[in-house]
Amino acid sequence: MSEQRLYPGSGQDERTSFAPYSAFDIPADLRTLHGRFDVEAVALRVRNWRYAEEWMMMIMGGWVATIPELPVKTGLGKIIWDSAVAADELGKRLPELRCGSKVGQFGSQPGNEGFAALIQEISSPESPELTIEKLTGIFDVLKPHLVDVYERFCTETDQICDAPTIILLEDITRRSRAHIAWGNTILDELCKDAASEQRRAKRRDELAAMLAECGGVTGEEAVVTH
Amino acid sequence: MKRFIDHDELARDSRFIRQDGAANSVLATLPDDVDTVVDIFEQLAPMIEKATRGTAAEPLYEEYGPAYNLVVLNEPIHPDDPALVNRLRFRLHGILIGELQALEGASRSLWDFPEAPWEFKMNMARQAWDEARHVQIYEKLLQYMGGEIGDYPENTFLFECACSEDPAMRVAGVNRGLEGLACDVFRDLIRYAEKVGDDTIKQAVDFVLADEITHVRFGSNWVKEFTKDDPDYFKRTQEFRREVDKRFSFGGARSARADAAIPLAVQDRLEAGFTAEEIDEIGALSAGGPSRETLREAARILAERHRAKKAQQTQTAAE
Repeated sequence: MSEQRLYPGSGQDERTSFAPYSAFDIPADLRTLHGRFDVEAVALRVRNWRYAEEWMMMIMGGWVATIPELPVKTGLGKIIWDSAVAADELGKRLPELRCGSKVGQFGSQPGNEGFAALIQEISSPESPELTIEKLTGIFDVLKPHLVDVYERFCTETDQICDAPTIILLEDITRRSRAHIAWGNTILDELCKDAASEQRRAKRRDELAAMLAECGGVTGEEAVVTH
Repeated sequence: MKRFIDHDELARDSRFIRQDGAANSVLATLPDDVDTVVDIFEQLAPMIEKATRGTAAEPLYEEYGPAYNLVVLNEPIHPDDPALVNRLRFRLHGILIGELQALEGASRSLWDFPEAPWEFKMNMARQAWDEARHVQIYEKLLQYMGGEIGDYPENTFLFECACSEDPAMRVAGVNRGLEGLACDVFRDLIRYAEKVGDDTIKQAVDFVLADEITHVRFGSNWVKEFTKDDPDYFKRTQEFRREVDKRFSFGGARSARADAAIPLAVQDRLEAGFTAEEIDEIGALSAGGPSRETLREAARILAERHRAKKAQQTQTAAE
């Protein structure tokens, strides 16, 4: 009876003559296993980040109609979409982290009540005269904080096991940096006089204090002041 | 930030001139009777005149009187029209305003309906970006034709009549009613661009039309989804969309009639999820207003009276 072959190319006489991987002059993989977070901790963070991205999308959506400056309205349109994509991608990561059906369709969760209160405060400016206060909350405070958090997470999580989250965050971070640059250009333009600059600084300081107080997006962050 | 805003809360920079939308509302209710049309427009004349003063629409008012809108909307744009450039700018400006209010409507849907399904939010977010690009595209097309934002007055009629506080009604009004109208208007603009060989307008508007078909499809899908277990609710959304369609038929200028200035874009509407029955219905709704001949005759009488009034004023001033 002849030997049963389960896979083509697996017979003794079919082995290749190539040397194993390590024989090549390729830099060794220096990544080590065991990052700061386990599966559950990553899933919780993804839900916290998704909460922030989803609410930014909704808040900016609410503001478009009450912001008088046309380039700001149209510029926000793109950022609303990017935030929706970020929230969507984060949501799609959840089932991969055993956190799909348990969290319902949204999957978003605030880090703590303090962060939820911060989001409500960021959304509070309403009238057309408050474009500076509106944009400062998103582009001077929240987005820079999220970029810090995403970048720090990428260095601390397991580089091999959690690579899908890293790739996802790298993409969101790249787009967020472009949003921050856009927001700063607009805010610099709107704050050319001392009084406007003071409004921006006051709003930024108030929100930054709230952010530090609640421990950032996850409730456990060391908040960096920008 | 509160949920739901009124149309007069839409914020604009100093270039924009706000106009009362009453004239547009009236167009949807006009009968096929010359005397009635003339009578109504004479009553609206002071308001229309006030809104056009200092804008690029002022020469149109001077030429045609309070019925200038009837001429602009009711007559197809021909390359040999003496007022071609002004009329084209007027139309592009009107579309830009429509895109701007559609941007505001789609964006507000994200804030106004926080409990809506995630996919709905994704669709509205995408539409917000698309409408933002459309504003940029029409601003460039307007500049391409030598116009600028604020050359003509804006009314918030679109936001006013379409932005319901009910999500199914809103997508029925905005995505099916108004975006459907956009399909008709853009197809007509593409036909004009093809006629005069303008590839810049043709290509840009064709891209925008492709987006609008997608937005109508969003509306078609979400109306079905929101009303799937409630036939009465579905019926109410259809009635609301019909009302929006009627108000945006401009007294039959946009219709399935043989004399329509803006014909229905049947193929585009089919692709976007309208059924053949719905398209027939829109055609019938739109056809109920005054005929083009009625509007043409009314516009002629109004222009004549306007010129006579001006001549009288000039003579009085000279004396």
